[in-house]
Parts: sequence; structure tokens; C-alpha cells
Amino acid sequence: MRVTDTTMTDTVLSAIWQAQDSEQTALEQLSTGKRVNRPSDDPAAAAEDVLNLSQQAQVDQYTQSTSSLNGLFQTADSALGSAITALNQAVSLGTEAASGTLSASDRQTLAASIQSSLDQVVQLANTSYQGSYIFGGTAVTSAPFSTGASGVTYNGNDGVNQATIADGLSIQTNVPGSQLFMQPGSDVMGSLEQLITAVQSGDSTATSNATTAVSNALSYLSAQQTFYGNAMNEVNNEQTTLNQETTNLQSQENTLVGVDMAQAATEVTQAQTDDQAVLEAAAKVLPMTLLNYLAPGS
Amino acid sequence: MAGLTTALSIATQSLMVQQEALQVATNNIANANTPGYSRQVLDMEENPPVQQGSLWFGTGVNAGQVESIRDQMLQLSIYDGTQQQGNAQAQSTALQQVEAQFSDPTQGIGSDLTAFFNSINQLSTDPTSIPLRQGILTAANNLANDFHSTVAQLDTIQSNLNLNVTQSVSQINQLTTQIAALNGQIAPLQQLGQDAGTLEDQRDELIQQLSQLTNVQVIQSDQGETLATGNGTALVVGTQSFALTTAADAGGMQHVFAQGTDITSTLTGGQLGGVLAVRDQSIPSMLSDLDGLASGLATNFNTAHLKGYDLNGNQGQDFFAPVSGTGAAANFQVSITDPNLIAASSDGSSGSDGNLANLLAVANQKLPSGATPIDDYSNLVFNVGNWSSQAQSQASATQTSLQQLNNQRASVSGVSIDEETTNLIRYQNAYQAAARVISTIDTLTTDLFNITTTG
Repeated sequence: MRVTDTTMTDTVLSAIWQAQDSEQTALEQLSTGKRVNRPSDDPAAAAEDVLNLSQQAQVDQYTQSTSSLNGLFQTADSALGSAITALNQAVSLGTEAASGTLSASDRQTLAASIQSSLDQVVQLANTSYQGSYIFGGTAVTSAPFSTGASGVTYNGNDGVNQATIADGLSIQTNVPGSQLFMQPGSDVMGSLEQLITAVQSGDSTATSNATTAVSNALSYLSAQQTFYGNAMNEVNNEQTTLNQETTNLQSQENTLVGVDMAQAATEVTQAQTDDQAVLEAAAKVLPMTLLNYLAPGS
Repeated sequence: MAGLTTALSIATQSLMVQQEALQVATNNIANANTPGYSRQVLDMEENPPVQQGSLWFGTGVNAGQVESIRDQMLQLSIYDGTQQQGNAQAQSTALQQVEAQFSDPTQGIGSDLTAFFNSINQLSTDPTSIPLRQGILTAANNLANDFHSTVAQLDTIQSNLNLNVTQSVSQINQLTTQIAALNGQIAPLQQLGQDAGTLEDQRDELIQQLSQLTNVQVIQSDQGETLATGNGTALVVGTQSFALTTAADAGGMQHVFAQGTDITSTLTGGQLGGVLAVRDQSIPSMLSDLDGLASGLATNFNTAHLKGYDLNGNQGQDFFAPVSGTGAAANFQVSITDPNLIAASSDGSSGSDGNLANLLAVANQKLPSGATPIDDYSNLVFNVGNWSSQAQSQASATQTSLQQLNNQRASVSGVSIDEETTNLIRYQNAYQAAARVISTIDTLTTDLFNITTTG
């Protein structure tokens, strides 16, 4: 083939461009740590990456939600624990009142102590977390329990909420106060009121019956408390699962769009060597014409 | 004496011819880097011999014509390669600008979508929280803003391409006028059987520039070369050129007209074809995908939102402004500004989060496109990447093949400095030899005169 100077310069130029293009790509991959820096680098991987990052963000959100819920569950659990302590105390006081011959003033003192247990339980049943009452069902803006002339009244509702803590996994986030504190047959508030009346009246049979009722309500509330214990276990377990999922997703992301740093570094060196080789060849070839070998003036 | 005189005349003519050859070589060297230049050679011809007695004697050399060395078929392939390259390059450039809008997966519509649904999930941990409700509105507004800015950026690229259409058409018109004028100069020379060399080079170069802009059919005719667009619309016939015109449609997009006919959709080659493909197909397709995503999301989310109750116990209203069809993404907007109006409750009680599950379900609900919102966006990213990647491969492949064609052309028509230097030496030697002949004849003649005067 007849090779002319334009062919030579064009070929050299396009070889230089090609070498520098490879060098730039290798450098970009090394500096960003990513093989896919724009959708056209690998359209399928870029599209997958959109989904992967969305899942990662979702898992982060689930983790955040489980942390918030954990705080809520702890508050509820500890409130119920305190209520149970107060009930235990009421049971001892009731047992004491039922046991023997007490003066009217002693009974009044005991009744007053039981009344203060009741007040404590009502206060605990009105516990709020981040400004919301947690035992009012889904009526969370006003105190669910109030004390009036007719005793303790529940102003909340029976609503329960669910929160999603993983794809397809919801968890109940509350137990309504009516179920916890005013369940017919295991009525915490009612049995305490009943006990106060019995102690005040001095009827030891009634006092004994009422104490049994409070004791039953106590067992019932302890059983209900396990809901929150279980819920805390569930969110804690879920957090472990979510952490694992994040690790998996990050590793998938790396496979999709990441670059092997060692390999990228080698590629940069390789591209630089290629570029240098092209430039050296160009420097040798380009200035060469017959004129170099003809003595000047001959 | 007759022999010496003939020899003298042969040598003189040789001097002149070698000088002409030197001039051609010089011109080749001068134009070694001129685009479109075809190297020239001087056709040297023997003079007719004369008979002297029984012998035939040669009578020297004369210069025939200066001929340009070219391969017309190769030239046609170059036009075709040039238009393909122009097309792919234009698409590649435009689509790389487009894909920049979708390059960072941690920003933009995709991540906004996820952040929006995440903010709803967060509310389920504390349904009456005003900061968390505000968080949903902020996330929704971020999504709306990114819909707007993505559409605006695509619109900007589209209108730049639109400007490019007008510019390309005006360049085409300039080139066709120049080509028609050259046709007028070349045809008479060719009819006389002369090589129009330089003029043809100029015309070839102009047609190549024209091919860069659009695909051109070249037809040889008596009146010179006839040029037409890919679908046969005449651009140049002999010495007449036909200007293309542009006129904007209702949407402001420039259409190309040839003698009153809209030929926009038939312009598929060259830079103009590439620009039109991105302006009229790729970008509208992306905008339509974004519109589908925006309107589908707004519709599905509103439906779910209407099922619930807000913090005041009232039934939910439209969360997003209802949008549909063309412009849905550009008009995508959050209709509520009061965080109390987010309908999280399923029963009217303020603390209920029962409707959040319905709102969250929208993330997995299929849009009219058949995909969930995030899948729909992911598909869009794939399409954008795929178009850009194809255009880039095409640009690089056509560049390589055009480079090869140009190398072939350079091999046939290009100037080799080595060759011309060799020729210079060759003609210089011949010139020196002819000069020596003259000096020898001069000596011989002087000798002859001396003999005749002294003897």
C-alpha cells in the first residue's frame, strides 16, 4: 500500500487519542472506585443500581423505624413494669387489710395507700412517648384515663397501629389501654377501686375477694406486658437481619458498579505505558522523510 | 548541423518539461496538508519520431496534461461513511448530555421516590408527629422539584438541538450554492476533455462537508453532478441549487421544507439526521416516560390518600395535583401544604396509622406502564444508557471505518513527501542532464565554427 504523510499523521493521532481515552477511563474508574460512572457505561448495571440503592435506602429506613419503635416499646414496657409494682403493693396492702382486726383509722390509712397506687397506675396508663399517649389506642392526643366522681374512665379507643419493619413484615405497635387496664374479668382499675371501697367498709370477705381480683388483674397485666417484650425482641432481631441485608446489598452494588481497585490501578499503569509507547513511536516516525537523509544543498 | 539543432531543440523542450514537472511536484508538496487535495502528476509524452533515411529518430518529450489522481467510487464511499459518522457523532454527543441527568443514582427522581416512601414509613412510628409529617411533604416536594428540573434540562437540550437544525440547514444551503457554482466551472472543462483537477477537489470537499450534515445521493449527469437528499429531494442540479427552508411547528420545533414539502422525517443521515433523531424521538420518548411515571404515581397515591383521614379527622383529599398526559412531569405538584392534612388515619382517630399501609403500597403498585414507580424509573435509566451506549459504539465504529476509507483515499490521492522529494531529484537530474546537453552542443557548435573559420 502506498502510505502517505496524511495516513501517517492520522494514524498516529488516532492512536494517541485512543491511548489517552483508555487512560482517562482507567483514571476515572480508579478515582471514583466505580466501573459504571454513567448509564451508558453499562446500561443494565446502571438500571440495577437504581433498584439496589432504593433497596438500601429502604433498609436504612426500616432500621431507623425499628430504632424508633424500640424506644416506644421500652417506654411502654417500663410503664407496665411500674404499674405491676404498684399492683403488687396494692395486693400486699389488701392482704394486710383482710387479715385481721384493724382500727378504722388504720383502714383509712391502708385505703389511702391503695388509692395512691391507683393514682400511680392511672398516671402510668397515661404515659406518653414523644408527645403521644401510648395506651389510648389510636386516640393519642389526649390522656386516655381520667379520674372523676364515678371512678376511672377510659377516653381512648380500641384502635391498634401497625408499622412495616421489613418488606411484607408488619408489627403491631400498641395495645389499647382498655385491653390493658380495663379488661372485663381482669379489670386493673376496677379491681383497685373495688379494693379501696372494701377496705374502707371494713368487710374482710369483700376485702379478700377484692384483693384476689387485684391479684388476678396483676397476673393478667404481666401477661400483657410480654407483648412489648416480644415486640422489642422482634425489632432487635429484625435490626440484625436488616444489617445483614445492608451488607449484602452493598456487596451486590459493588459487584454491579464497583471496580476492583488493584485491577484499576494496573489498568491505569497499562494505559500509561501504552500511551507512552504510542508517543515514542510517533516521535520516531513523524519527523522521518527522505529529506532527513539528503545532505543539505546537495 | 541539422542534428545539432534538433538536439538543441529537444534539450530545450526537455528543460521546459522538467521545469513543469518540478512545478507540479512543488504544488503537490505545497498542498500536502490541504483537505480534499488530490495529488497531481504531469503526463509526459514522447514527441512523434521523424524518419531520416531508413532511421526513425525520437524528437524529445512534451508535457501532456496535469492529471489529478482520484478514485470516484472511493469518494462515494467516503461521503456515505461521513454521513454515518456525522449521524452517530451527533446522537452520541446529544445523548451523553442527556444521560448526565441520570448519571448519579444517589440523586434525582429515583432516590427521591424511595425517600418519599421512606418518609411515610417513618411516620408509622409516630403517626401524629408534625415533624415526621412535614418530612413527607418535604420529600414529596423534592420529588416534584426533580421531576421539574429533569424535564427542564431535557427541554434545554431539545431546544439546543432545535437551534442546531436551523444552523445545519443554513450550512447545507451555503454548501449547495457553492457546489452549483463549481458545477458551472467544471462542466465546460470536462466537455473539452480537460482535467478540472483543483475544481473537482474543491467540489468533492464541499460534498464531503455536505455529507457530514445530511445523507447525499450523488448522480453523475451531463451537467455535472446532481445532488439529492436521501429520499431523492433535489439539492443541486447542474448549476442550480435548491435551498431548504425551516419553519417552526406549534411546539416551536423547526421542520425542514424542500420546495414547500416537509421532509423532516426523511432526513435520517448526517449530523442533521442525528440531531433530529434525538430531538424528535429519544427526548420525546424520555419525556413521555417521565409523564407516565408522574401521572401514574399521582393517580395511585391520590386514590390511596382519599381512603384515609387527616389529623383533623376529615377524609383525605388529593395529595398531588392530578396530572395526566403530556406535561404531567412538568406539572407534577404537591397540592397540600399543611402537614395535618396527610391522611395517615384509617378510622378518623388522629393516632391511627392504618392508611399508611395503603400509601406505602403505592410503591409496589403497578403503573399503567406495567412497572412499579421505581422499576419504571430504573427502566428509563436503562433506556437512556442503552441509547447513549449504542450511539457511542456506532460513533466509534463509523469513525474507524471512515478512517480506513480516508487512509485508502490518502493512499490513492494523498501526497507523499518522500515520493515528491524523489521526483524533485529525478526532475532535477533530468534538468541538469538536459542543461549539460545544451552546453555540450554549445561546445560542439563552437568547435564547428572554429574549424570552419580557421580552415
